Amino acid sequence: MKGAEFLVKALEHEGVEIIFGYPGGAIMPVYDALLDSKIRHILVRHEQAAALAADGYARATGKVGVCMATSGPGATNLVTGIANAYMDSIPMVAITGQVATSLMGTDAFQEVDIFGITLPVVKHSFLAKTAAELPRIVHEAFRIARSGRPGPVLIDLPKDIANTIAEYEFHEDDTNEESAEPSKESITRALTLMRESRNPVVYAGGGIGMANALDEFRAFIAATRIPVVATLKGLGALPTTDELALGMMGMHGTKTANHAVQTCDLLICVGARFDDRATGRLNAFAPNAKVIHLDVDRAEVGKLRRADVPVIGNLRHALKALTCKLKDIEPWRRECTASKDTHAWDYAAPGTEVYAPGFLKSLSDRAGDDSIVACDVGQHQMWVAQHFHFNRPSQHLSSGGLGTMGYGLPAAIGAQLAFPNATVINVSGDGSIMMNLQELATLRRYDLPVKIVLFDNRALGMVRQWQELFHGKRYSEVDLSDNPDFCRVAESMGIPAFRVEDRGDVSAAIDRLLAEPGPVLAHVLIHQEANVWPIVGPGRSNSEMLHQHEVAREVAR
Amino acid sequence: MNKFTLQLRVKQSEGALVRILGVTRRRRFDLLRLTADTTEDGHFLDIQMTVQADRAENTLVRQIEKLEDVSQVEVIEPDEAGGERRAARSTAH
Repeated sequence: MKGAEFLVKALEHEGVEIIFGYPGGAIMPVYDALLDSKIRHILVRHEQAAALAADGYARATGKVGVCMATSGPGATNLVTGIANAYMDSIPMVAITGQVATSLMGTDAFQEVDIFGITLPVVKHSFLAKTAAELPRIVHEAFRIARSGRPGPVLIDLPKDIANTIAEYEFHEDDTNEESAEPSKESITRALTLMRESRNPVVYAGGGIGMANALDEFRAFIAATRIPVVATLKGLGALPTTDELALGMMGMHGTKTANHAVQTCDLLICVGARFDDRATGRLNAFAPNAKVIHLDVDRAEVGKLRRADVPVIGNLRHALKALTCKLKDIEPWRRECTASKDTHAWDYAAPGTEVYAPGFLKSLSDRAGDDSIVACDVGQHQMWVAQHFHFNRPSQHLSSGGLGTMGYGLPAAIGAQLAFPNATVINVSGDGSIMMNLQELATLRRYDLPVKIVLFDNRALGMVRQWQELFHGKRYSEVDLSDNPDFCRVAESMGIPAFRVEDRGDVSAAIDRLLAEPGPVLAHVLIHQEANVWPIVGPGRSNSEMLHQHEVAREVAR
Repeated sequence: MNKFTLQLRVKQSEGALVRILGVTRRRRFDLLRLTADTTEDGHFLDIQMTVQADRAENTLVRQIEKLEDVSQVEVIEPDEAGGERRAARSTAH
């Protein structure tokens, strides 16, 4: 049996059902072995999309996503997707072909040191040196990718190793992946702070969903009745329609969420990492709060904000241990929920053009709880986070840490393959869609019924917004008025498409989008100067949110 | 500036030393001194490195101890200070 067959057999043993990839010289032995495997290979049209689709598959399912590429440019094209998974702690195994061992270090054709290139963006990596060790390497790679704080793992496989004939040794699963329980002492101290607090807030991050701790988290909130603010990745940990869900915090968070954090006396951070987009100016963040920080990754605790009580370990155990009834926080809870009503979104925008937040609100109401939304990066991404309802984090696929334009379409492909009957929606922008536009061909090839909503403001909207607000309207390289005709582009790749230009047509457009049995693209024109509100300016405190009417007033002055 | 010395043990594996140096640089710690030697059984690399940064030593210690092949991280008094090593922090996978 050849090394490549070992690899494929070991992947089957790990339960891999789908690999996203693209063949080439050094990885050919593996592609040969795949012909005899029940694993389904999805051929994308650019390796970056393979890694991003594996990421989307992993986020939607909770399983390890697998992507594969050849050596050299194939491998380097994976790097953005690997980094994306690293920043958002997504379990992934990336397999790269490598030139033969004897050629490594000679600048051979399509040789690149992908092991070295990816070191900063992997949780771990392997270079296969013998065929016999491949089953162990694959097993280790999957264990590392999904255990503790998940992340991407690279396996670099030289072509001669893939072609070596050796004896296959089955590798037994003998490892306990359960992360440690938090210490009793930390739980006791956390409970004391919780009981002393009058204005507590829970800061819910992506770790909750990744730890499979939704039930424990919801039970914790139902018992304590503490108001919850969410990070981008934490949206849906508590259904966003829940009375206690105050919305997203941070740069484009809700007034209610940011105000609650800024005035709370206790911040309970659950599986989050005090990212700058969430905290605003760090030394002004939650200035009166003591901090309890629950995380499986000890390195995150105290990295940016000192924790009064660190609770390190498995979130499910930690949340269960902290679940209790709290007295004396009812006035605070009422204050928070009342603020939600005061600052509720207003969808009655002036003008007759399509109002993206309103479009997304309607789409969310109609698409239902089983839908999955994959977005790209920019203004539309923030509108999705603000206006879509999520009842679980795995419903919302968004590139948080890395902010990868071009993420949405491949991620939607990954999610749709995992859930063929689900309504999978890719919300994109006219900037982002062009970053992985070639994957429309993948949609067609596998007839994946992804619904694409392409908001087109003929600009790089988020950059344009920053230039307007923070660079004195000096617009630099944000004009995209020469965009192609997106409907014709889609149609040329066999994807039906239609254009939406008027607010009065939104309802019919959503009907058409959701009724289409196959893939479809709605090209939605929006006002070029539509901005994401509210916004916390760069380097500003979350207490200093800018609102649309305030900025309009400043300009008028 | 916070200056300190780490004693590390890492499994002899592809890129082990580079991985540690990479984390050190990425987390903005300056390397002042480094010695490394293979253990007698050949399975591990013992590394002693002195670094400095504006950041707390735990920032680096906790990132290094997360590395898959690192089995031991201790903050010690540097050898040249003489006398006993002080184990301020020790972890093992």
